[in-house]
Amino acid sequence: MSSLKQIRFLLGKDLRIELRKKESLVAMAFFGALILVLMNIASGVGKQVDVESGAGILWVAILFSSVLGMGRVFAREKENGCVAALLISPISPGEVFIAKALVNFSLMLLSQLILVPVFFVLFGTNFSGGPIALIPILLLVNLGFSSAGTLISSISAGTRRNEVLLPILLFPLILPLTALAVKATAGALAARPLSELSGQLEPMIAFCLIYSAAGYLLFPFSIKED
Amino acid sequence: MIRKNCSALLAGLAAVLLPVALGMVFFYAPMERTMGMVQKIFYFHLALAAAAFLSFFVACVSGIMYLLRRQRIWDARLAASVEIGVVLTTLVLITGSLWGRPIWNTWWTWDPRLTTSLILWFIFASCLILRAAVEEEGKRATYSAVMAIVGFIDVPIVFLSARLFRSIHPTVIRSSGVALEPAMLITLLVSIVAMLIFWAAVFRLRCSQYTQESAVRDLQQQLQR
Repeated sequence: MSSLKQIRFLLGKDLRIELRKKESLVAMAFFGALILVLMNIASGVGKQVDVESGAGILWVAILFSSVLGMGRVFAREKENGCVAALLISPISPGEVFIAKALVNFSLMLLSQLILVPVFFVLFGTNFSGGPIALIPILLLVNLGFSSAGTLISSISAGTRRNEVLLPILLFPLILPLTALAVKATAGALAARPLSELSGQLEPMIAFCLIYSAAGYLLFPFSIKED
Repeated sequence: MIRKNCSALLAGLAAVLLPVALGMVFFYAPMERTMGMVQKIFYFHLALAAAAFLSFFVACVSGIMYLLRRQRIWDARLAASVEIGVVLTTLVLITGSLWGRPIWNTWWTWDPRLTTSLILWFIFASCLILRAAVEEEGKRATYSAVMAIVGFIDVPIVFLSARLFRSIHPTVIRSSGVALEPAMLITLLVSIVAMLIFWAAVFRLRCSQYTQESAVRDLQQQLQR
């Protein structure tokens, strides 16, 4: 099998499991919506938030809910002893990394299909920019977050405190990405054109490239159980 | 024997040089005109920052070397440098806050340097938490090596993204560095050298502690067999 086919095979397998059990996706969307409602109440019922705080609230909800799904992707393999099976299969560890990162990417994207509309319903009354303008930012953050997250979750799944360690290890690394995303989202919510946001989008692309490369190179070390 | 003497020599040198540097800060370096006495913290603040950054660099290099060579000594070096780096960065943040309070009138501001050191502190402190959570030796070494590498390559992005904050807080003074009085510059250099020697002494001590620890554990396992 060519590597593209192998990646597609692994991705299809994980997505099929997810679509049948729906354990990650439901938890992610539910928890994210819960955070949005909490934030809406915490920021004062009936008050309008400005674009900067709105962007911050959206990203807190997305990142906190995404961590829930990310922890499951490897924990599921470990519980069933499938990591060893993945490693002895003719698929190289780098390809496993790509497939798992794509799984996390799709999970984030699917949960955002619910979270972003909920966000606009709760907060969106005085934002001039619409959800369409957010798409490039969402895709970039998903890419960066899922590549860094896949690498870190392969580490945390190897320990006995997976659910606790994953956010502790992952959030410090993605702090810069979050800061950039909040700034860019605030711009998009204020209906500024995409070209004006290049100051934030370019470092975000750099982050994605660095962490995809680092993940691809380091994942074979972190996944092996010695 | 030579190695042992080297550790003792470094420690002795640090014990002499650090008080000398402190003395120079207070009695040799002239008083800064606008900031006065508060500016004295600058010499140790910068020396601590240099040593902290060095430890994270050493941690990253040791991580790469461990993954390539799989030798225990590199894990010991990584563990030692991450520990020292976290302690030193804590001190950098504290001294910086103490300095910033009277000069900037705030304990904290989102200046690029401050942001970078805070995020580095978080990343490497989380590496320490990870080390505490994993018991198997090989796993712990591999995981912390990966963490040290990805933590260090975060630095350029952190610095890039931290430029965002400058536009929000334009009233931040840049390093008072370039045009230093000669006496100030000498004091600064002595402080940095003293701190780096101190760093090397602690680093060697901690490394040999780790090596001894794993040697003892090996012996224990052999006896149990």
